[in-house]
Amino acid sequence: MSTHLNKDICDELRFSLIFKKHSKDLNNYLRYKFGDSLNPKDKVQDAFIKLWQNCKKVSPDKAKSFLFTVANNLMLNEVAHQKVVLNYKQHVPKSHTNESPEFVLEGKEYMLKLQAAISNLTEAQRTAFLLNRIDGKKHKEIAELLDISVKAVEKRIYGALKKLREDIDEL
Amino acid sequence: MNREELIKKWLDNELNPQELEAFKALEDYNALVKLSDNITHFKTDEFNSDVELNKVLTHIKTKKQNNWLKPFLRVAAILAITFGFYYYTTTLDTTLKTLASQKTTIELPDASSIILNAASSITYNEKKWEDKREIKLNGEAFFKVAKGSKFTVVTESGVVTVLGTQFNIKQRDQYFEVVCYEGSVKVVHNSNSVILKPGDSFLIIDDLLISKDYVTTSNPAWIDNESHFKSVPFKEVIAEFERQYNVTINSNNINTSQLFSGNFSHDSITVALKAITLPLHLIYSKTNNTIILKRE
Repeated sequence: MSTHLNKDICDELRFSLIFKKHSKDLNNYLRYKFGDSLNPKDKVQDAFIKLWQNCKKVSPDKAKSFLFTVANNLMLNEVAHQKVVLNYKQHVPKSHTNESPEFVLEGKEYMLKLQAAISNLTEAQRTAFLLNRIDGKKHKEIAELLDISVKAVEKRIYGALKKLREDIDEL
Repeated sequence: MNREELIKKWLDNELNPQELEAFKALEDYNALVKLSDNITHFKTDEFNSDVELNKVLTHIKTKKQNNWLKPFLRVAAILAITFGFYYYTTTLDTTLKTLASQKTTIELPDASSIILNAASSITYNEKKWEDKREIKLNGEAFFKVAKGSKFTVVTESGVVTVLGTQFNIKQRDQYFEVVCYEGSVKVVHNSNSVILKPGDSFLIIDDLLISKDYVTTSNPAWIDNESHFKSVPFKEVIAEFERQYNVTINSNNINTSQLFSGNFSHDSITVALKAITLPLHLIYSKTNNTIILKRE
């Protein structure tokens, strides 16, 4: 018990390090899972504030799991089963895949279909898929982040892809 | 390698050059790439960790000030509720009731005592007793009032006020009687008020004032387990009998307004029945708790 006492998070420097390490992932996770309308940034802040308030009780290695659970619960309290909508941008972002370096921004019709299809995925599928496709995370990294097996991650992402294809091709 | 495995590897960015060629040769290669590229449009606004971190640290530092407020309010609220509840429950009135064939003695906070006859009830407030000695009575009770401030008994038929004395109040349906045994008692009935001295009584039956002889005993007979009646309508005798023995009496076949003088004891129902029926030439039949009276 005493070995943890001098390494707890109640220290501004250690707390800041943990913030830098997890905040962005947490923000994206919330956004992918719950959409843009419920202010993921605020929930990230609230979760970290709660971490600080409980700094004596949460050890550094449990911090990530604490943050994700708390943030998730804060969202669930608000979500009231609204439809999850992610917003897309019209401008062209930098590509980070290594196949085709240039691509054409598709028409509005396609993007709206894609947006609707993303909303129709299950939370699990959507979260894993977007962490992989947008953030470029490896299956292994996602498995660690969400605390599930690599196989489960593969299943979710593949399932998401399949469903999206079906929804979009529904012409 | 089958299609699914290829796609999975592509998703994880793990295709070696050969596998990549195989992937490109897939039928829906174009559709897959198109989908994947356009997904990136859903990228989040830039999340600036430094800016966000600053916000959190500022918030934490200002929040430190109010750490004591919430717990303090919680404790205050709990105390307030507890005290409120305690105060409320201890200032409620006390009510005591007797059932048929039951008699009980009650001692009040000032050492006054009340003996309650059957099927009667009294209500008073213990907490306020020191300031105001007031009791509601329904039925019959004998009062021994300790000397002190004004002592008031409120009944449906009238109000009795005393200063330190012994008296009996009987208030039943259409029957209101006050007998003073010691001290002095003021009775207010409708707009009449009368002062009783030891031995005096005040009696109203069916809204008629009835004069009575001096009472010479020191307490009412029912305290000694007997009921005494002097020229009282028989229906009152029957009513008291029912209360003392917890029975129902059917008197449909007899004249209940005739006057009765006599006693019955509370200790034996057969003896008591004889006591009230013989003088009026009545006979009775008894089944469980019902008694039927008839002319001989």
